[in-house]
Amino acid sequence: MTLTQAPSIATAVTPPKRRYRARSLRAWAYASPTAALVLVFFVIPVVLVFWMSASDWPLLAGNRGINLPDNYTDVVDQRMFWPAVGFTLKYTVIATVLLIGLGLGLAMLVQESTRWRAFMRTTFLLPTALGLASASLLFYALYSPQVGPLTPLLEKLGLIEGNVSILGTPTGALWSTVFLIVWRFAGFYMLLLLVGLQGIPGEVYEAARLDGANRWQTFKGITLPLLRPSLALSTIMCVTGSLLAFDQFYILTKGGPDGSTMTVVQLVYNLAFESKRNLGMAAALSVIVLLALVVINALQLRVLRGTDEGKGGKA
Amino acid sequence: MTKLYLRRRPARLVATVAMGALALTGLAACSSDEPSSNESSGSAAPGASADGVDDGTTLSMWTRAPLERQATQLVDAYNASHKNQVKLEIIPNDDMEGKVGGAATNGELPDLLAGDVVRVPYWVENGLFTDVTDRIDALPFKDDISSGHIDAGTDTDGKEHTLPFVQDISVMVWNKALYKEAGLDPEKGPTTIEEFKTQAQAVAGLKKDGVSGTYYGGNCGGCLVFTWFPSIWAAGDEVISEDGTESLLNSDSAKTLYNTFADLNESGAVGAGSKEETGATWTAPFSGGNVGVMPYPNTAVAAAIEAGIDVGVGPIPGIEGGTSTFLGGDAMGVSKDSKKVDQAWNFLAWSLSDDTQLNVVAKAGDVVSRNSLLDNEFTKDDPTASVATAVIPNGRTPVAANFSEAFNASGSPWVTLIRNATFDRTDTVDADNDAITATLGQ
Amino acid sequence: MSALMRGLSRTPYYVLTGGLAILFLYPMIWTAVSSVSPQPGSAQTDGYGFGNYSTVVNYQAGLWTYLGNSIVISVVAVVVTVLVSTLGGYAFARFTFPGKNLLFLLTLAILMVPYATLLIPLMIWLKTMHLNNTLVGVGLVLAVFQLPFATFMMRISFEAIPREMEEAALVDGCGSFSALRRVLLFAVKPGLITVGLFAFLAAWNDFMVPLFLLGGDKQPLPLAMVNMRQQVMGVIDYGATQAGVVILTVPCVVLFLVLQRHYVNGFMSGALKG
Repeated sequence: MTLTQAPSIATAVTPPKRRYRARSLRAWAYASPTAALVLVFFVIPVVLVFWMSASDWPLLAGNRGINLPDNYTDVVDQRMFWPAVGFTLKYTVIATVLLIGLGLGLAMLVQESTRWRAFMRTTFLLPTALGLASASLLFYALYSPQVGPLTPLLEKLGLIEGNVSILGTPTGALWSTVFLIVWRFAGFYMLLLLVGLQGIPGEVYEAARLDGANRWQTFKGITLPLLRPSLALSTIMCVTGSLLAFDQFYILTKGGPDGSTMTVVQLVYNLAFESKRNLGMAAALSVIVLLALVVINALQLRVLRGTDEGKGGKA
Repeated sequence: MTKLYLRRRPARLVATVAMGALALTGLAACSSDEPSSNESSGSAAPGASADGVDDGTTLSMWTRAPLERQATQLVDAYNASHKNQVKLEIIPNDDMEGKVGGAATNGELPDLLAGDVVRVPYWVENGLFTDVTDRIDALPFKDDISSGHIDAGTDTDGKEHTLPFVQDISVMVWNKALYKEAGLDPEKGPTTIEEFKTQAQAVAGLKKDGVSGTYYGGNCGGCLVFTWFPSIWAAGDEVISEDGTESLLNSDSAKTLYNTFADLNESGAVGAGSKEETGATWTAPFSGGNVGVMPYPNTAVAAAIEAGIDVGVGPIPGIEGGTSTFLGGDAMGVSKDSKKVDQAWNFLAWSLSDDTQLNVVAKAGDVVSRNSLLDNEFTKDDPTASVATAVIPNGRTPVAANFSEAFNASGSPWVTLIRNATFDRTDTVDADNDAITATLGQ
Repeated sequence: MSALMRGLSRTPYYVLTGGLAILFLYPMIWTAVSSVSPQPGSAQTDGYGFGNYSTVVNYQAGLWTYLGNSIVISVVAVVVTVLVSTLGGYAFARFTFPGKNLLFLLTLAILMVPYATLLIPLMIWLKTMHLNNTLVGVGLVLAVFQLPFATFMMRISFEAIPREMEEAALVDGCGSFSALRRVLLFAVKPGLITVGLFAFLAAWNDFMVPLFLLGGDKQPLPLAMVNMRQQVMGVIDYGATQAGVVILTVPCVVLFLVLQRHYVNGFMSGALKG
């Protein structure tokens, strides 16, 4: 099919069939490093995870044979399972709404190119230079009642009483983490959406203005629909990332207090290395997460995919 | 346009590298650059004595991050005086289990492995350590070693695997300045739980801004195990059954203890933040001078004194008198994967010798693991040391395979029990105790 | 007059964006300042100074060992990520070949697996390949975690290049590889830089993968930072933590600022087709 598009000057005399095969071979040569890495460092370990999920495999004792489907039923019956699923979904909705909303807002604020706006862009993007672990450590200090400036501030505002840790209450821990994530990632989503905004031709806005559309109408009628591909990409990335949230909670809250900020991936870690020390159960939960993500992403693609046929992917 | 691009040099450079990579692709799947070098040199040297072998072997050692200071002191002293050299690796506290589990699966455990004494029984049960019963029994000072850390490493067949590495005990501390202000005798701490309550309430009665009577890690299972179990032991009760499968935390003395803290909560004598305290900062309010009296880790007393607090130190009292302490800290053994058992044993035997215990451990202000050495030249002027000396013989270490899951893990049933009993007074101690038993016995 | 009015009407805008800028910069500035400020319980208790930094420099094996390990890991990860994703991105953008969609989806699926689960399988598997406890092994693993983003990025970067450019090179008698090497690479430079920068940031900052896959003297800096945070009985040395965060962050921020223009372009060049 693509043969017609393929540059054909140099190879015009070769029969098409062989040319196609030669091209396929060459393509595979280019793709082979990717294939090799993916196979060796991803596919094989994932197969191992599937195998573990079907085996009685305590952390310290090692593999003790197949026990399907015990790990799966044990995981679902685990007392933290449903709370963790619920919290993860809640966190995902909050993080996605805030990040996409704020990303879009920031993008519109800095859209035109002036020196001030360029400076603002840099400012918003700067936190993306920090690793999630560093950022979490930074905020851990920022939130601490001993050295952080936030506790005294909140105390003055009357939001909290006494010298308590902001991370000490379920609500506090959730919103503190959300704030960290928004700080760390808002710039990134701003950039993604900025790219989309820049892709909207100026004439379209011009036409809208001539039609007498006000700002809101323009935003709703033009910006949003034309931004759809970028929004879709951002949303998929954000949802996937949030559903797999781990580092930030691992460093900031450890799933506490009272397990109220336990995400599903935290639970995977907890089952494997802390509470149950059972790799089989942890692997079973991972498989559940993996399958759920495949389904969720497939649904998202279907719902969000705009007019273009897309590339079937995301970043 | 095309020509312009063709002239760019940097692109060519990158591309040359890329070509190299392409050529290598076929090999990528099996690119291995380092043959495994696990073969050890000196296994079971002949003529190994009770002191083990010191023949210039390199030994690997793992310990968790909170004990980095103590571990480094011991390792440095050993390396300076021996041909063997110990390489110490610090593991984050919360990731210890995962790291050890992975290494155990791969047969890559270090020669010397130290772990929180409450975690050790589980490790022993899973065969992570080499049996060193004969060697321990051959130590001339075996009966003098504080027994908690040996017991933790003794399996059901009576085989011994571990020795004390670092000791930490729990004590009662009070702020002398606040005691004076509250009209209490600054030299006398509580000797019963009732006294603890009245003294805490007296300090709370000062109504000073930010100052509270007492403070505890209301969301920290480990802190509460460490500081509350001694009161129950001192009263003559047990916290868990001998075999570590049943929780006995619904005894009358335990309930009295919970009710005392519930009373303190209701009278407003407990510092703000106790309910949320996950353990990260549980010693900070006292060392900040904001707490009247509380049970405390001995290792943190020095820091409080350094911070300028006039600290009174005493043993943790039982319900109606008596004293006890939690013999915490880390136990160490030779791992199952070590091929240098004699050399590793050399370190272990050395670490408990008189000289090491006095001139390394005691000198640094830490608690020694040999009962006869508790009184020594370094502890003479130290008020905390005489307390330690007095209380350690009564000290205990609970042993259970599933201890950390039942008590230390976040959201453990023990934390649930405490929160129900002391914050909400739900009168569900018996049911909550059963939940602990369920976790212990699985 | 009207200029003044216009300026005034823009005031809310400047107040808003200025406020946001402060909000975004504040955490980093606060950390940098605190790391040299006096704090109880840290190495810097009196006056301003670099006491916390000397804690970090002298921690265990010493800062330079950790830094060296971090650099090796990062370089391996960046080189592998850039090379593999460039070649792969080119293949996905310009060729049709059997298994193309499957391979692409598999690559993207890396994003969907909670990596906490992969740690133990990777530990076992790397040992089988004799890559256990090597900086190269960890670099490769971290590169693989970067592949979904990198491959996607390079694919759209190549797709954004007009075909005529490549065809012109082919007319000049180049094969597809020399076309890639001599023409296209320059055109996707922003994408390359973006991919490289992301790979660096991820590899430089990761602590979980090295924690499980490395031991002994091979630990990288972030792992040392996390260890340093924990003192006896959970008391935390915030001063050293902050100094560590600063040491970890400075190279990232510098690199980020230097490469920013390309990095933003990297997104612009391809993602229009979103």
